[in-house]
Amino acid sequence: MGSVRAEFLKLKRSLSWAVVVLLPLMAVTTGVVNTVVSDQQLGNGWHTLWLRVVVFYGLFPLALGVAALASLVWRVEHRGGNWNALMGRPVSSAQVVIAKLAVLAALAAAMQTVLLAGLVVAGKLVFALPGIPPARYLLVSVVIVLACLPVAALQSGLSMLMRSFAAPVAVALLGAVGGVLLVVTRVEGVAMVVPYGLLGRATQLGTGMFVDSGAVTTGVVAALVAAALGLTAAVVAGTATVLDRLDIR
Amino acid sequence: MMGRAVANEFAKMRRLRVTPVVFVMVAGVLAVSCVEFTASGFVESMGDPAGKPWQRLLASMSFSVLMLSPILLAVLASRQVDIEHQGNGWLLSRTSGLAPGYLCRVKFVAAGAVVVAATVAQSGLVFAGGALVGITVVFPAGQWLGYTALLVVVNLVLFALHLLLSARVENQLLGMGVGVLGVFFAVISTGLPQWLSHFLPPWGYYELIKPVEYREDGSLVSLAPSYVSVLALGAAGGVLFLLVTRQFDRREV
Repeated sequence: MGSVRAEFLKLKRSLSWAVVVLLPLMAVTTGVVNTVVSDQQLGNGWHTLWLRVVVFYGLFPLALGVAALASLVWRVEHRGGNWNALMGRPVSSAQVVIAKLAVLAALAAAMQTVLLAGLVVAGKLVFALPGIPPARYLLVSVVIVLACLPVAALQSGLSMLMRSFAAPVAVALLGAVGGVLLVVTRVEGVAMVVPYGLLGRATQLGTGMFVDSGAVTTGVVAALVAAALGLTAAVVAGTATVLDRLDIR
Repeated sequence: MMGRAVANEFAKMRRLRVTPVVFVMVAGVLAVSCVEFTASGFVESMGDPAGKPWQRLLASMSFSVLMLSPILLAVLASRQVDIEHQGNGWLLSRTSGLAPGYLCRVKFVAAGAVVVAATVAQSGLVFAGGALVGITVVFPAGQWLGYTALLVVVNLVLFALHLLLSARVENQLLGMGVGVLGVFFAVISTGLPQWLSHFLPPWGYYELIKPVEYREDGSLVSLAPSYVSVLALGAAGGVLFLLVTRQFDRREV
């Protein structure tokens, strides 16, 4: 628990809030502006608004946002003598890796919360939609946050290995492009076992886009959650093993 | 002096993993553009001028450029400058006679050449892909080359902006964040009227240089790209870059 608290303390002055707040709000703004300017109607109310905001957000920007946050939580370790201080701490490598992931999970959950809040505000104020978004979007949001975990774990590992802030983000972009191609070409089986593909698939849940049927069924949700947790465990174990073998600088 | 400094920047790039970043930039655009080959009706259109297969490929390429370039140019700029922050290279260069602003201009010349080469390679490879799959319709060389030339200008202006951001603010999150936000600006501009896209420079200009566009009825129409606007962007971007880097020259390191 001490490791997790330490990681949150390190984030205090890191500008991580900018990614957490601005990225989802830009996604909402993009969906709203394109709808208003093109003079299209939200034929299916909250569902259409969700489609216009989340489908694009899930294909590229979300993975890049998670990658930038992962670079941010490791950046401090690559500066000055912090790497040696990290290696000299009386905690296991697994604890360090899990603590970093816990911070990233919290930030991913915060991003999704901001996205939902922005969606509700836009739906109410700009489009005067009745009621609130259906509860299933809350479930889909939880699935999206869980699907962020394998990407966060993988990006955390890459940011651990690369001193550069930008290089892991470039890898994330390549991964996101691969994920998009898997989802667009409907290769669902492979998409489910590749972190970026899984994230792309999870954000299409309930939308009826690409491989999605449009229904949020127990089977699909269970498959996505199981894949997310399994991939996360595998990546965390791999990262901890690699960190165990790294030397001081 | 400039020539040796530029050669030195190329030497630095050897260990900056610039090649993989450029590979991602070129391969990403190529891969997303080539998704069009699997679109319905594309194979049937390859020998039919009315099917506009080259224009379909051009539309696909302009979309993929708009999605990928803002981030990859941010990555490339950040890579060039971050080493100076990390290794106190600004001070080293200053004591060697290269002021920070001058070093930025040198970096722009060196890495800008890479950006130009990558942009031309993207365009050439997408054309090669179209030719390889067997498009037999006459190639619209003027339209294609015009788009590539305008894309070079917009990419260079965006790269210069990111170079300045990364040099001014040590925390590279800002440059990366602006890169990701740039994708949103570019996507927003696709829905805006042309005159409004001018107010989102330089990302909105990816929309202004678009040579073809799908209309609501699904038809694909050729557009007249805004050559004057893009040239004005290039000129304004160049002047601003020089002014800001001159200010960097007077800054204490």
